[in-house]
Amino acid sequence: MRAIDLVIRSFRNLADATLDLPESGVALVGPNGHGKTNLLEALAYPVLFRSVRGSADREVGRFGGPGFHVAVRYAAGSTVAATYFAAERRKRITLDGEEQATVSAAIGRWLAVGFFPTDLALVQGGAAERRRWLDRMLSLADRTYLDALLRYRGALAQRNAALRAADLAAADAFNPALARAGSTLASRRRDWVASAIQLWQAELAGLGELAAVTLRYKGDDALIDADAWDERLRASHQRDLARGQTHVGPHRDDLVLSLSGHTLRHYGSTGQQRSAAVALRLLELETLATARGVRPALLVDDVFAELDHDRQRRLATRLVSRPGQRIVTAPRGEDIPRELDLPRWQVQDGMIRHVLSEAA
Amino acid sequence: MNVLETLITEFARLPGVGRKTAQRLVYHLLQQPRERMETLAAAIAGVAERVHPCAECGQPTEDAVCDICRDPRRDAGLVCVVEEPSAVAVVERSGAFRGRYVVLGGRLSPLDGIGPDALRIDLLGRRLAGGDVREVILATNSSLEGEATATYLQQVLAGHPGVRVSRLARGLPVGGELEYVDGVTLTHALTAREELR
Ligand SMILES: [Zn+2]
Repeated sequence: MRAIDLVIRSFRNLADATLDLPESGVALVGPNGHGKTNLLEALAYPVLFRSVRGSADREVGRFGGPGFHVAVRYAAGSTVAATYFAAERRKRITLDGEEQATVSAAIGRWLAVGFFPTDLALVQGGAAERRRWLDRMLSLADRTYLDALLRYRGALAQRNAALRAADLAAADAFNPALARAGSTLASRRRDWVASAIQLWQAELAGLGELAAVTLRYKGDDALIDADAWDERLRASHQRDLARGQTHVGPHRDDLVLSLSGHTLRHYGSTGQQRSAAVALRLLELETLATARGVRPALLVDDVFAELDHDRQRRLATRLVSRPGQRIVTAPRGEDIPRELDLPRWQVQDGMIRHVLSEAA
Repeated sequence: MNVLETLITEFARLPGVGRKTAQRLVYHLLQQPRERMETLAAAIAGVAERVHPCAECGQPTEDAVCDICRDPRRDAGLVCVVEEPSAVAVVERSGAFRGRYVVLGGRLSPLDGIGPDALRIDLLGRRLAGGDVREVILATNSSLEGEATATYLQQVLAGHPGVRVSRLARGLPVGGELEYVDGVTLTHALTAREELR
């Protein structure tokens, strides 16, 4: 899958533009803070219809502007678009020009996987970072997962509100919905981990990490069975009431990454942690490619500068070995490994210019 | 705020009516003969004055007890529990149900501050206390909150072991509002209702 063109209006600091994207991809080069990452953010926005940086929609529009618009055409006659109206705090999402009643109807039509320097938080950060990553990936891979996730979040929010109101009977009325959706999440996450371990090890070996790495899902095994929930939830009543929140369910689980028997989060070197984060993104790429039968586009945001020379080469080789469009950013042209031979665009002050020839 | 602005604001509060539509409606009214507006105002005032929930089922009526609850041909052993009065109208149109109703006046939604006390669950209790009820059909919507309301009522009904409890399920779209279901689907859902106990 590739972006044929991208339309941006009032998006961050970027000048309004319609950009025709080369089939192989493009290297975006320019000083930091001038808009390279914003352009990747614009491309990634219509995947999940939210900022990959976790920004609120009102922050994504140009400062003081009326909102923003972004559209990606990813095949002839196939366009996903989002328009945010700041004054009404309303978002309009269209598929091929047709307005969608729900965001979930349009999620994942256009697929791109981003590699960002902030991905290090996937390894170094708390369990919430990895859960969010798992949820996003599996939602894009599998419609059933997305539906279960939305239902689960709704049921959890209602149940917790009832707990805060000290109404246990009302809280428990949401148990069946929580159990049905939650058991789906727990079992699909486990199935994915079991199927992904070998690939994760292979990706890390390919990046030059030779120590034994493992991937493990940490959570209550019993919860893959919806019938087991009632007993668990009842046993947690006192705790739940005292804290006004539900203590049972996959919203408390973790994906544990370890190296030679120690958690990467606590014991890995920064280099190993960076490799692990990159390997998670490569895993995401392969998971989506397999589940959806199309290869997502790659958005690679200045991750090379963070890696040592050997890791840079290895990552570039691994990226090049996969077919598909690659949109790569770097402060200077020479920061991009030679393996990634792409047309070059200059990004400066939010303006994007094609570089037709390099000065000698 | 002047009266014109007040009216536009009030229209805009109605479900499915935005500010632009509210303006259009009000400007349309302004072009009508004065009597039309007075008739509309009188109708709204009359409804506000005389319509209140039926003492037995909770649906809007001008009398103490509504026509359905007073109708001796209706089966007092069969009770259909719905969220809103609009659902009663849908079930009635299908003609497939000859029992009586309880209109809860909403659904369980703790996030919106709607707990069990905000619903007319007491009316169901009163019907059950009458001793004639054989079956309760839980016809709340299949949304998350509608399902939770049904689960909650099931717990309430656990105290009445002699009463059959069933749930409208098959044929209704997930997350669907009963109001949008057509007569054929509803008739099927009513006849094929699932027994919960
Ligand atoms: Zn009545």
